[in-house]
Amino acid sequence: MIVAEKKPFDEISGMLAGFDKVLTVGCKTCVAVCLAGGEKEAVLLNKELMLARKVAGKPIETGAALVERQCDMEFLAELDDIVGQYDAIVSMACGAGVQFMAERYPEKPVFPGVNTTFIGVNRDVGWYEEKCRSCGNCLLGVTGGICPITMCAKSLMNGPCGGTNQTSCEINKDQPCAWYAIYKRLAGQNRLDNILKITEIMDWRNNVPRTIVQPGYEQRKAAFSEK
Amino acid sequence: MNADKKIIRIATDVLVIGGGTAGVAAANEVAGKGYKVVLTSKEDKVAQETKNGVIADMVAKAEANADIEIMKNTVVAKVMGVPGDFAVTLKTGDKAVERKFGAIVVATGLTTKVLNDAYGLELGPKVISQSQLEALLAQGKLESGKTVAFLVGFGQDGNPLVMERVLDSLTALGKVAETDAYVFVGDIKLAADGLDQLYAQARQEGVIYFKTTDAPKVSVDGDAMCISILDPVLRQQVEVAPDLIVVEEAILADEDNAALAEPLQIEADKNGFLQPDNVHYFPVKSTRLGIFVAGAARDLLSVEQGIQDAGNVALEVKKFLGDGNLEVPSNTAFVDVDKCTVCLTCYRCCPHGAIFWDSRAIIAEAACQGCGICASECPNDAIQLGDYADEAMAKAIQDGQGTSGKSPWIVAFCCKNSGLEAVNMAKTFGYRVPAGLQAIEVPCAGKIDMDYVMDAFVQGADGVMLLTCHNGNCKSDKGALYASWRAAEIKKMLASVGLPEDRLVCASLANNMGRKFSEISVEMERSIKKASS
Ligand code: SF4
Ligand code: SF4
Ligand code: SF4
Ligand code: SF4
Repeated sequence: MIVAEKKPFDEISGMLAGFDKVLTVGCKTCVAVCLAGGEKEAVLLNKELMLARKVAGKPIETGAALVERQCDMEFLAELDDIVGQYDAIVSMACGAGVQFMAERYPEKPVFPGVNTTFIGVNRDVGWYEEKCRSCGNCLLGVTGGICPITMCAKSLMNGPCGGTNQTSCEINKDQPCAWYAIYKRLAGQNRLDNILKITEIMDWRNNVPRTIVQPGYEQRKAAFSEK
Repeated sequence: MNADKKIIRIATDVLVIGGGTAGVAAANEVAGKGYKVVLTSKEDKVAQETKNGVIADMVAKAEANADIEIMKNTVVAKVMGVPGDFAVTLKTGDKAVERKFGAIVVATGLTTKVLNDAYGLELGPKVISQSQLEALLAQGKLESGKTVAFLVGFGQDGNPLVMERVLDSLTALGKVAETDAYVFVGDIKLAADGLDQLYAQARQEGVIYFKTTDAPKVSVDGDAMCISILDPVLRQQVEVAPDLIVVEEAILADEDNAALAEPLQIEADKNGFLQPDNVHYFPVKSTRLGIFVAGAARDLLSVEQGIQDAGNVALEVKKFLGDGNLEVPSNTAFVDVDKCTVCLTCYRCCPHGAIFWDSRAIIAEAACQGCGICASECPNDAIQLGDYADEAMAKAIQDGQGTSGKSPWIVAFCCKNSGLEAVNMAKTFGYRVPAGLQAIEVPCAGKIDMDYVMDAFVQGADGVMLLTCHNGNCKSDKGALYASWRAAEIKKMLASVGLPEDRLVCASLANNMGRKFSEISVEMERSIKKASS
């Protein structure tokens, strides 16, 4: 899932300085699961804003809403009736959701309530680890299910650098060496021959804004694009 | 039946995990209360401790009882469901069966680790562990005419169980002809029943003890071994040349405990025992309703203590299962399935293992204790708790604003088990309490949502108090802890909005600490008044 962190409060209240009626919209999926932007956080942010403005003598009106997924227009549409009552919107979704919200309501200032941080996994409540940089050319099949793009400080794709301390990375002894982990995993599965396979250099040019059309949906997309 | 209670049906079979003496004893006692019991042992035997005939009798009794099904070579592979309705997968070899149980008793044993490294010794034919000696003695394989030296209490903190093993071996050694025994003892405790007597008896039979604080020097030179020590009584160096050195062992929680704690959703302590150090769980409760712990599964306890636990286990099992009609509070937590996104936060936070999920989170009425931790942690506000639903709490805060009218307005969220009692006591005994104090009851400090606290400030409260039980004395084990974590977060928020941090106080109180409550609330009032003057 996408993992985000709450933005520093000062930054949010700074962005909202000129606005007196604000709608804060949580996103019920990724950012709710990582405890950064669900209904609870949206409501809490509103309370914090109200309190800060009260202390400063410039009261603010706030409203809170929760949307199934802000990255789907159909769900955003549920806000159409209430958005008009506010001067600005804080979207607690990931950057994608914030932008889709801004696209839906182009005349309204839309502000991010969280910092979108990475694609990762849930270790425990409130504890997440980055796992994937969405490079667009997944190598996990040869690397024993461990991502060197994410885990290796230099994103090396063909074995460790000269700085490896076996188990740890040269940047920091608490950072495991991705390639040591890959070696151990492959050795355990008797697949060490994989490590000799050369992965061709990544075409990082593919890291421009990407669009994905899942197989079988090409025609549907073509039909929609024509409209 | 109380109006805020209701009755649900639960399963009444009981699973006892662990075929040691504690497990066999628990199975006998539980079956004695009229329940059907499945007793599993991971080995192909049950209760092998051959200390005395009592244990052999216990095993025979269990084997003869038609209500006890003994499953040997069997391990717990999976535990699903909730107290009163556990679905447990038991694996015997490759064969797996799923069985339903209302309650589970964990009676795992202890494991040992030989401490030869602490003495710089390598184990070999002449340097053996306490366990190896016990095996030799049990099989009658120890040759006569040997000098045996025990090293004990220098490699670890003293524990009566460690010394008990040595004393038992000395008794057995006394029966082997022409054996001399020396015991080098460091920090050791003899607190357990009967140990003093064994100690004295061995002494009379000619065992020689050296008790010192410094570890003896042990040298091994080929076949010649020598232990030397400064005798604190004679004040001179003493040397012993034994034929056999017996090295002490640390006694530790069963390695299986950690693997069991996870599927059972109970907490293990830092030493790997399955009962937290919290009086509410003594003698045999775990953190989860319907799961009980006996003997060495819960602490470093002897075989005898494990047998003693069996009676308590049977009482607790009966208290929980009764006749299969369970009375539960109607105030259990409830999930709004439209709001739940199955983030698993509630499942991971519930200290009572009352939550599971299928396509959405589900809270088991039989297991929920109504602490409200889940409701306060859910990121989508999808959980509501009976009388303490968010709306009711918001209304309580709002009502306080109108009725109190006194300044400063201090909202105290009080755990009804401790804080609320302390507040009431302060009032009854006429201790000073701020005029503008509004006490709001919560079922447990775990129910104090950050949102309620912020709401109180937004509504105009000048100060907010979170009154919790002492950590380690919370009925929900973690409620006070969660409250203290949330308080730390809110203090950061107060700082960022420009309010003094002392506007929020999180304090743990026992229910008889009315005086203390008076002090901290009056102090808060004083500091608020001072800041506004
Ligand atoms: S908007 Fe972002 S956070 Fe929300 S569901 Fe979509 S990807 Fe996840
Ligand atoms: S290689 Fe790593 S960064 Fe690339 S898609 Fe796979 S997991 Fe993600
Ligand atoms: S914490 Fe809330 S959203 Fe998450 S699983 Fe539980 S009920 Fe569902
Ligand atoms: S109220 Fe407490 S016991 Fe009940 S489900 Fe929630 S966390 Fe568990």
